[in-house]
Amino acid sequence: MSESHNFGGKSDIIALSKVSKTFWRGKERLDVLQDLNLTMQEGSFEALMGPSGSGKSTLLNLIAGLDVPSSGSLKVAGVELSQMSEGDRAGFRAANIGFVFQTYNLLPVLTAVENVELPLLLAKLPAAERRKRAQTALRVVGLEDRMDHYPRQLSGGQEQRVTIARAIVGDPKIIVADEPTGDLDRHAANEILNLLGKLNTEFNKTIVMVTHDPAAAERASICHRLDKGALAL
Amino acid sequence: MTLLGVAVRNIKRSKLRTALTLAVVAIATLFFILLRTVIWSWTSASEFSAKDRIATRHKVSFVMTLPKRYAEEIAQIPGVKAVAYASWFGAKNPKDESDFFATIATDPKTLLDVYHEIQTTPEQKQAWFENRRGALVGDALAKKEGWKVGDKVTLTGSIYPGDWEFFVSGIYTTTTTNVDRSTLYFHWEYMNESLTGARKDQVGWILANISDAGASGRISKEIDAKFGERDLQTVTMSEAALNQSFLGMFSAVLKAVDIVSIVMILIMGLIVGNTIAMGVRERTNEFGVLRAIGFLPKHIAQFVLGEAAAIGLFGGLIGVALGYPFVNALVGRALEENMGNMFPQFRVQPGIAALGLALAIVLAMAAAVLPARKAASLKVVDALRRVG
Repeated sequence: MSESHNFGGKSDIIALSKVSKTFWRGKERLDVLQDLNLTMQEGSFEALMGPSGSGKSTLLNLIAGLDVPSSGSLKVAGVELSQMSEGDRAGFRAANIGFVFQTYNLLPVLTAVENVELPLLLAKLPAAERRKRAQTALRVVGLEDRMDHYPRQLSGGQEQRVTIARAIVGDPKIIVADEPTGDLDRHAANEILNLLGKLNTEFNKTIVMVTHDPAAAERASICHRLDKGALAL
Repeated sequence: MTLLGVAVRNIKRSKLRTALTLAVVAIATLFFILLRTVIWSWTSASEFSAKDRIATRHKVSFVMTLPKRYAEEIAQIPGVKAVAYASWFGAKNPKDESDFFATIATDPKTLLDVYHEIQTTPEQKQAWFENRRGALVGDALAKKEGWKVGDKVTLTGSIYPGDWEFFVSGIYTTTTTNVDRSTLYFHWEYMNESLTGARKDQVGWILANISDAGASGRISKEIDAKFGERDLQTVTMSEAALNQSFLGMFSAVLKAVDIVSIVMILIMGLIVGNTIAMGVRERTNEFGVLRAIGFLPKHIAQFVLGEAAAIGLFGGLIGVALGYPFVNALVGRALEENMGNMFPQFRVQPGIAALGLALAIVLAMAAAVLPARKAASLKVVDALRRVG
């Protein structure tokens, strides 16, 4: 289960081997990913770029355990996901993956700290411990003075920082970010990218980010370009 | 914070929609309680009947009269303690003919012996006994008409035509709720002295107090047997049986009330279901995110069902809270005062309130089952695709 490759002292936390993903639209077959081979090292910050329809979001969904490949092997954090049931993948995601979406999708009826605490409801933790961890996560993203604010009382950048706090509160190994700066102005986008960089360098989180923004992609140590379901050379 | 707590707080999301839905649940619960109380009060009227009182009437119908001398003969039957007689007079207040109240001609002394629940002061009782035009008026009727002791009251007779003058000798209250407080009793002699021919010396029904409530069946049979060979035969029954036979005439009405109460609460369920379905459709993206961060389909279903349960609970509680004053203080008081013989005790029963609240919660949850299943069965990737 925990087999991984080792390159120069760092192990592969994500390993795709001959991964294909096919969708059916009625009788029409759509080969979104084709025989993809890809590895990502633990603690890396990698970007996925490509035109619309290139398969980057599908690839991100596979890495995050939201979907399974049609064929091939997909190992994330040492776990083979390709044959895993939906229920098991939900547990895997809760333990290993933090999600940052383009639209923040915070629950409007919960405060910032409650939104961050939400994933911890799945863990068997005392309420006080859950709240303490949520507060710590908000401190990491610099929102210690906005804990009791509701999403409507926060700016877009602040909402995205709450989302990042929600992503890291369970201490996942990997953070997947789907266009995390897509709805933000340049200043707020830079703050979010700085924060992701900090999580990568200071907290050793592996970050996989889908983006259309070249400036965002520059923050990544490795940038993968996809085109028509394959990695572009 | 708990999963259920989050579900409950979701009802604050759209305040106007939630307020309107809560209003529907509250109103449905309130009317469920009201209609169920009608059924309960009506069907339990016999429980409040005096067990030691029997009534004798003409065998054919209430409308047909009996000779007054039958009362004297009934008084001779062993086990009978006191006998009174009465006739339905059917007079109206000429100032407002649509205003209904009972006017009954009776013998004052024996009436108060048989109806020991009727209470008035010794002075007023004596004044009524001594004044042939005196009337004893229920406190609810006196309050409604603005009558006081000593007032002269003129009523127009319908069964016994003409203007009839009365003086309010006393105002009575009752010790139990099975005697209504909106009746005007007056001297049967006053009515009888104006009558001639076949209408003279007739009474509508005869009431008797018996010494042993358990012997009511035997004594009733004895009374009817006594007059079985006469031209005018009788039928005698306990007060409870009298109420039940009266109730039988309205069984269709009770059934209709029963059905309406169920239909009303079912409509409430459909409205709640529609509200929940709209909320689920609007929150597809949120459910996608929750699924992504590790929540299972069962958790999503719990969110939806929890929200529905909260709407049912809060709406039901509001309905129950409004139901008590509405039924007890408003409708109940009016019915007890004006129709005390049919609705001797019109009060919300805790069991009915609890049933209303439970139905509000259960039906709200039942109505949310389909939206909950739909939300729980969303594929994560499909739900997230709607994020943007």
